[in-house]
Amino acid sequence: MKSLKSILSFVIPLTAMLITFAIFLFTTKVLEDYKLKIANDYSIVVVSALPLIKDNLNEFAGIKVKNIVTLEKNKIISNMKNKLSNKSITLLKQRLPYFYKMHLEKYPTTSQLKQIKEEIENINTVKKVEIFSKNHNQIYLLLLIIQKIIAIVFVVILLYAVIIISKQIKIWFYEHHEKITIMRFHGASILYSASTVIRHAVFGALLSFLIVALLMILLNENLSLIFPLELQSVVDIKLAINSELLKIFLLSLFISLSTIFGVLFKYKLKND
Amino acid sequence: MITAKDIYLSYDKTRFIIKKGSLHIREKEFIFIGGNSGSGKSTLIKSLYGDIGLKHGELFVDGHKMKSISASNLRKLRRDIGIIFQDYKLINEWTIEENIMLPLKINGYSSDISRKQALNLLSHVKLSHRKGYKPNELSGGEQQRVAVARALAHNPKIIIADEPTGNLDDYSAEVVWNLLKGANEQLGITVVVVTHRVPKNFGIKFRQLSIEDGIIYEVS
Repeated sequence: MKSLKSILSFVIPLTAMLITFAIFLFTTKVLEDYKLKIANDYSIVVVSALPLIKDNLNEFAGIKVKNIVTLEKNKIISNMKNKLSNKSITLLKQRLPYFYKMHLEKYPTTSQLKQIKEEIENINTVKKVEIFSKNHNQIYLLLLIIQKIIAIVFVVILLYAVIIISKQIKIWFYEHHEKITIMRFHGASILYSASTVIRHAVFGALLSFLIVALLMILLNENLSLIFPLELQSVVDIKLAINSELLKIFLLSLFISLSTIFGVLFKYKLKND
Repeated sequence: MITAKDIYLSYDKTRFIIKKGSLHIREKEFIFIGGNSGSGKSTLIKSLYGDIGLKHGELFVDGHKMKSISASNLRKLRRDIGIIFQDYKLINEWTIEENIMLPLKINGYSSDISRKQALNLLSHVKLSHRKGYKPNELSGGEQQRVAVARALAHNPKIIIADEPTGNLDDYSAEVVWNLLKGANEQLGITVVVVTHRVPKNFGIKFRQLSIEDGIIYEVS
């Protein structure tokens, strides 16, 4: 009973931290997928008097340019071919400015699109910039806010968890102090002497990981049951469950071991 | 093997337990250290395995300068020492067999060899029938015999014993003395024993030191 209580004191904060991390991974994935879904729902068309040097146009409003596609003049003129004479078409070809379609690496918000338009218009040769976009801004921003809040909550819970589990590790050291001292009198290294405490921490880390892994698999399989129908289009994602679980496993092990080695180092300084 | 020159030992800055103590213990010697309670006997032997630091003077144990010994060298030194504590210092959650195996495992012996040696020593201390017992299931005398077996397990260069028979009945005390004598005579292990009373008719050659008011004297 006592050992169960002691292991739970370690597992509960660690599990809470891992669950927050799993939620953070989930919202990040939702946000990324949403960005991909709406990525093509905007269009930036640039009209320039002279050909643009594409290599000079790398970034606007802090967003990197993915590519700039030159729109063929022939295609534009072909729509009007029937209405114009050959002479007019030749003249039009000479006078027609250069058209480009620009794609960005990230989905821009409305304010970013506005800023992008202003920045492109500042280029001397640019005559006109047209932006066509559907307004996904509110959902996108809401998802972004949720992700940021979860990131903050995760950091807070991480700090809380590290404090609680380091206290538990100190209690384990206290409980095994006599044994550690006897082993050290016989020439054992601190790592060998503290192997029982290290085993407790690794066991706790594995237990926490298993709990969170199970929850995550359940969540991934039952998204449609958890979220209402209206949200299905937003949260309809497929988690790369293996890599997400690996991240959670590594975090669990890293936090447990780094905390135990921190406490171990302090213990060594105090007792050597 | 052990040389101390004008050493000062204390637990705090105000009072020295050992003052200007000097001694020289040669290899394979059997040494008794006597003295009244609180005279500094235990403090002196604690300094031999680095449990208490030196304030002044020079102390060499098996070639290691104790004042400036590094952590890794201290570990090495302790692996060559067998310590018998007055309060046994056995690990209560382990069986007595596992307790005896401890120094062997620390010295890198395999589990099989460690187990064989532990069983051999348990028969020497007449506790083979109790190999699966935990220390707190044994009497004080039996626990001390286990502690002696543990100190001998890895065939150390030095055995340091702090009042090894202080709380024992006559039978257990005799077993302990016989084991220590055997270790010294047959295995050539240097033995340093702190005790209130040196046993009569000890049967082997020994030297006796005494500590009074923190000063070490040669008695015989």
